[in-house]
Amino acid sequence: MTRRLAITLNALSLYALAGVLAAAFAAQLWLHELPCPLCLLQRVQFAMLAIGPILNIRFGPRPSHYAMSLLSAGLGAVVSIRQILLHILPGDPGYGSALAGYHYYTWALIGFTAAILLLASMLLFDRQFEDRANSPIAAGPFAGLAVRLVIALTAANVASTYLECGLAACADNPVVYEMLQRGAR
Amino acid sequence: MEFTALFLAIAVVMLIAWHGPRPLALTLFGVLLLASAATYLHHATDVLKLSF
Repeated sequence: MTRRLAITLNALSLYALAGVLAAAFAAQLWLHELPCPLCLLQRVQFAMLAIGPILNIRFGPRPSHYAMSLLSAGLGAVVSIRQILLHILPGDPGYGSALAGYHYYTWALIGFTAAILLLASMLLFDRQFEDRANSPIAAGPFAGLAVRLVIALTAANVASTYLECGLAACADNPVVYEMLQRGAR
Repeated sequence: MEFTALFLAIAVVMLIAWHGPRPLALTLFGVLLLASAATYLHHATDVLKLSF
């Protein structure tokens, strides 16, 4: 795998992560399902997954950048497994609505597992790490847009969580935006 | 509040990764990872009612 192909795949992974963050927002805004603390923590890990690919696009692919994403995916998987176990008993309706039969935290575990497998697969291709002495490849508009998109969605999460939780700890089972509620009083 | 701070910190680290020095981005990522692990441990307090 050439360096340029690896960078293109990293840009594609950023679009995939942007899609995940956008889908979470869509569920929050259209279905009025506010994310719980563990749900937010899974979003945090999806956002942190994007830092490795951003570094790969800017400085060229390096094993350390993939390791960063692997650590984020591992922690994200732990969080989603924890939430699955909280609702594993028969008769438990789970948290939030289900999408195609699975709750969001189950989809999150599938996503983190897929990320771990894909990242490990990327590490198999040594040629992308050669020619490190060359200057970093200038990111094209395709990769640049992916980076801006994922940063914008992360910034949108800053505003969303501030509206949901305010300056206090987030509610375990949130039903209103604390800051909007406070403004209406 | 902690999640607002985490998302804000991630956005800052992303901007540093895109525009700033690489060692700073790597260091801040490490701090972020520890902070998110600590947040997880803080919130993982509910008892798991498992049958096995």
